[in-house]
Amino acid sequence: MSAAPRAALLEVRNLRISFGGLAAVRGADLTVYRGETHCLVGESGCGKSVTALAVMGLLARNGRRKADRLAFDGQDLLRLSESRLSKLRGDRMAMIFQEPMTSLNPAYTVGSQMAEVYRRHRGGTRAEALDRAEDLLAKCRVTSPRLRLGQYPHQLSGGLRQRVMIAMALMCDPELLVADEPTTALDVTVQAQILRLLMDLQRDLGLALMLITHDLGVVARMAHRVSVMYAGEVVESAPAAELFGNPTHPYTRGLLACVPVPGKVRRDQPLGSIPGVVPRIGHGFAGCAFRDRCGQARAECARTVPWRTSGEHGYRCILPPGWAGPASLAA
Amino acid sequence: MSTPAIELRDLSRHFRVRSGLFGAPRHVVAVDGVSFAVPAGGVLGVVGESGCGKSTLARVILGLLPPTSGEVLVDGQRLAAMDRRARARLIQPVFQDPFSSLNPRRRVRDIVALPLVAQGGFAQSEIRSRVDEVLGRVGLDPAMGERLPAQLSGGQRQRVAIARALVLRPRIVVCDEPTSALDVSVQAQILNLLAELRRDLGLTYLFISHNLAVVEHVATEVAVMYLGRIVERRPTEALFAAPEHPYTRALLASVLTPEPGLGIPDVGLGDAMPDPANIPPGCRFHPRCPAAIARCRSEAPLPRRGRDIEVECHLAAVG
Repeated sequence: MSAAPRAALLEVRNLRISFGGLAAVRGADLTVYRGETHCLVGESGCGKSVTALAVMGLLARNGRRKADRLAFDGQDLLRLSESRLSKLRGDRMAMIFQEPMTSLNPAYTVGSQMAEVYRRHRGGTRAEALDRAEDLLAKCRVTSPRLRLGQYPHQLSGGLRQRVMIAMALMCDPELLVADEPTTALDVTVQAQILRLLMDLQRDLGLALMLITHDLGVVARMAHRVSVMYAGEVVESAPAAELFGNPTHPYTRGLLACVPVPGKVRRDQPLGSIPGVVPRIGHGFAGCAFRDRCGQARAECARTVPWRTSGEHGYRCILPPGWAGPASLAA
Repeated sequence: MSTPAIELRDLSRHFRVRSGLFGAPRHVVAVDGVSFAVPAGGVLGVVGESGCGKSTLARVILGLLPPTSGEVLVDGQRLAAMDRRARARLIQPVFQDPFSSLNPRRRVRDIVALPLVAQGGFAQSEIRSRVDEVLGRVGLDPAMGERLPAQLSGGQRQRVAIARALVLRPRIVVCDEPTSALDVSVQAQILNLLAELRRDLGLTYLFISHNLAVVEHVATEVAVMYLGRIVERRPTEALFAAPEHPYTRALLASVLTPEPGLGIPDVGLGDAMPDPANIPPGCRFHPRCPAAIARCRSEAPLPRRGRDIEVECHLAAVG
């Protein structure tokens, strides 16, 4: 990483999201720097997707969002009117999804959808917008880009749709790209191609990429920085090499032990596993949400647990840094 | 040599599908001349991308779809000659989605008991004790038997599906993407359970998955499927150590292990997506193959067999 001071593009402090009586996110802190890939990782229901939607101002109607600070490039998103926010969204911040048809309209050609995004935010003629669309499709390694402009989404394969959605998200040169499980529905070979594309685009365009995934392999290969979420909280956050080399929160360690790794994890031994299930968390829940599943739990885990930091590595646990030694997998 | 648990002889399954109301019917070759044998107690992992025919293969082996040609032998007997009840006592499925494979209106106890009831001839007390026993085997408290599927977690539902598969004490279980819908921590629990059951009950598995790391962990032998054919089949360790087929190499390269700093590999496959309704001439993999030569475009490679290897590629070394 460069020595220049890093500029925070997205700052989230004490984000809380609830749906009725259910607390989906309980005090998440997150900083995404310009030009960096920040992965948000966790299992279903941990709050990673709603965190992304809350940042984009796209929560479902019954979702309530509160935060001490939610800022994009210094602008307070909490105070922004819906019209100001929709000017920002699709322009300086864009989002892509697991299912490309979430963003693509089946009734319009690829070209007209891509041109509309551009002209809405930037104006200009349709011809200019289509030229830009063609350039971006080519940059996203879509074959015969001119031809694709006239095609409808259903005429494209899954991998191509994903590329088109990415190209569309890039039409206005966003500074922040939020990607929610963008490769989960794809075959492994196509996944690798799409991730390579995202990694190249992130580097070449200097994007801040917030990548949401459940896949620790994707995290390890893509992330500059990782935040691990569990039951609505960020339980650990660190630069990728540090997180995988020195995982400290018992949940992070448990999760890493569950992953089969060809050639590294013994085939004749059981995989590590985390006993029990994620608790259902209502309002007023206190203490560490992982304590019922944790081999290290003590009485004090039922009280408020501190956020400990050493350098750029932070985690929410009563255990001291280095309590378990380095991870065995990261050689 | 003892009788293989599963043996396929030149098995094919084709479909005629109509695309849209006025579309011309298309001829889809889902499984195209597949032969292999799985020894009793073994685990054959079948890997490949969507549309390669792996789920059709599972359904034919389970007797849920008749083959277009060729034969399936289970425990030495022709599947086609067996009635449904005999088949159910020998071979059972576990599917991917425990949310849709369990009847939402039935209690867990009744779901697990159904294969016994369908067989007929079991007394109520025996059904009850066998259900309790198998629930215990899969790590569920017998009290769970009174619940409905909606009251269970994803991992618990998959345990119910496994219990239902085992209640008739079959020899063979066909697992079609059994952990693909589960979170990674739950996946580990289910994989450990399947390994333990195989060891304790002497089961044979056909284990279908798109996740190569999972297959590497559970399978004794791996078959790589591409557009309806097995293009490489070998013992697991050998396949992962030195893949021969270019497609196997690409699949292995796309496994993203949780090791930071390695970046995203270039798998070297183009954009030509495989279409089972339009199988290319010559080697069916040649449009995507980074190593293809002129011969690959015109001449389909025959299976080549060596010690512990079977591969279909003009360029493969068979030692």
